[in-house]
Amino acid sequence: MNYFELLTLAMPETILVIAALAVLAADLLVMREEPVRHRFVVAAAISCVGCCAGLFWMFNIEQHASVLNGMLVVDPLTRLMKAALLALTVFTVLVSVERDFTAHVGEYCALILLATIGMMFLVSSEELLMIFLSLELTSLSLYILAAFNKRELKSAEAALKYFLFGGTAAAFALYGLSLIYGLSGATNLREIAKALSGQALDPLLICAIVMTVIGFGFKVAAVPFHLWAPDAYQGAPTPSAAFIASGSKVASFFIFAKVMMLGFAGVEGSAVWRGMISGWVPAIALLAALSMIFGNLAAIAQKNVKRLLAYSAIAHAGYALLGVLTDNAQGVASLVYYVITYALTVLGAFGVVAVVEEFSGDSQFGNFAGLARRAPCLAFCMMIFMLSLAGIPPLAGFFGKFYLFAAAVGSESTNLGLLWLVILAVAMSAVSLYYYLQVLKQIYVAEAPASASTARPSLFTQGVVAVLAAAVVVLGCAPNLLLGRLLEAIKVAGLY
Amino acid sequence: MTAGLEHYLVVSAILFCLGLLGVILRRNLLIIYMSLELMLNAANLAFVALSRFNNNLDGQIMVFFIITVAAAEVAVGLALIVALYRKRQTAHVEDLTLMKL
Repeated sequence: MNYFELLTLAMPETILVIAALAVLAADLLVMREEPVRHRFVVAAAISCVGCCAGLFWMFNIEQHASVLNGMLVVDPLTRLMKAALLALTVFTVLVSVERDFTAHVGEYCALILLATIGMMFLVSSEELLMIFLSLELTSLSLYILAAFNKRELKSAEAALKYFLFGGTAAAFALYGLSLIYGLSGATNLREIAKALSGQALDPLLICAIVMTVIGFGFKVAAVPFHLWAPDAYQGAPTPSAAFIASGSKVASFFIFAKVMMLGFAGVEGSAVWRGMISGWVPAIALLAALSMIFGNLAAIAQKNVKRLLAYSAIAHAGYALLGVLTDNAQGVASLVYYVITYALTVLGAFGVVAVVEEFSGDSQFGNFAGLARRAPCLAFCMMIFMLSLAGIPPLAGFFGKFYLFAAAVGSESTNLGLLWLVILAVAMSAVSLYYYLQVLKQIYVAEAPASASTARPSLFTQGVVAVLAAAVVVLGCAPNLLLGRLLEAIKVAGLY
Repeated sequence: MTAGLEHYLVVSAILFCLGLLGVILRRNLLIIYMSLELMLNAANLAFVALSRFNNNLDGQIMVFFIITVAAAEVAVGLALIVALYRKRQTAHVEDLTLMKL
């Protein structure tokens, strides 16, 4: 193991660091006098080139290694995750380009890239220290991104709430990790599992499990640790909220699943109906059930599309947790497929919201009235996103849910023990259709108020949103594009 | 009597609970930040103690990184307070009421 080898393994991240520095330098040194719009285009172009270079490197140089006690794991699965994160970053940057929430565009793009670097290290690590550090790098960048709109009172407030909850969550996760380290004497997840597997479930171990679950539960916004999400989504500038809802969700869910499945293998317990055994699976089953119920019911009452998306994100976190507690290869594959397609969908939806906000000030339901006449293309894309979130075939959201539920039912196939959770999830998805259709009703049925602006969205934003909508349709019609690769990658990665 | 592992762990658990109580009960953002630091330092104490009694150094290395991260976290947090204070002339959580259910 020498430094050159390490550098080649961490090359995608290194490229992104260079891109972040280049964005800052270009914006602060060269483009000072230019108008904001030009600076944003240049910063976005450099960020996208950086991301594409990272993608190009990953797919041209096949590497497979685990170095430094699992701190950096490079295999097909992490490569796939990183590719998804890079793609989400590119789309986030493209969605932000034409917004005018800030004049500090260099810092904005650099922070997005830094957050992406954190997420990339997060998904490719199996070691406690590295997991904590990259989680913090991601979170700290996201807190600042949430506060980026200095003209808006709500932005700083949203960021503070996000920060306070996030900071507490980090402390919980860290304390949990310290207990795990104490009980196992190891910091690598696989070694931890080996050390823990023989042990009885003593109080200290339960404490460690609960604290880790609380810490990561905050990150993925599962009930009862969801309180930050609606405010952060509503107050943050829309592109930042889109990034918080998409990229960071993908990374957090993946590492949550990895810590639980790899680190706590052997103390799973069971969430089978009338046959619960204590361990981490029942804890997550509880979070999943609460999130599905509360997220969907609270979303019904919302009058603001960003808040609605936040509550729907909480509900979706509940569905996705089914993939975590399924605890087999099929569960991981369906979880990753679900969160990636969900991230694409929600990113597109936030793109549409951003345009509407630009026209009419905020994202109240009324401002979407008559969007179909003003911007037919955006309205159609929004319909695809909403129906995909509700889980209507043949869109990606349907197959995501289908595989998740199938994996959950199949994992205890002898007695269909997880059926109670799946029935709950199906019932709650039916509830969710109501509030997604409320949004569509505004867009397609309601008349636009006379005062509504007649401005047309730019072709560029329409194009970006249309590409995202196309991705949702394609991944829905041909799920094997992603799912097949995932299953293969999981086998190669030795997760099971 | 010499101090054993359990003593250290109990102290760190008490510190963690005090920090959590501070975060939940106090109303001033700066005091909340101090309580957050207390929670992180409780984890630090647990790491050092466990590292000593496990006879390996990984835990102590963790602590160095955690101290650094805590400093970075406070820097970001203070910046957020400044951003809030410029707009609203307040650093109290009761005043964070622009967005409600």
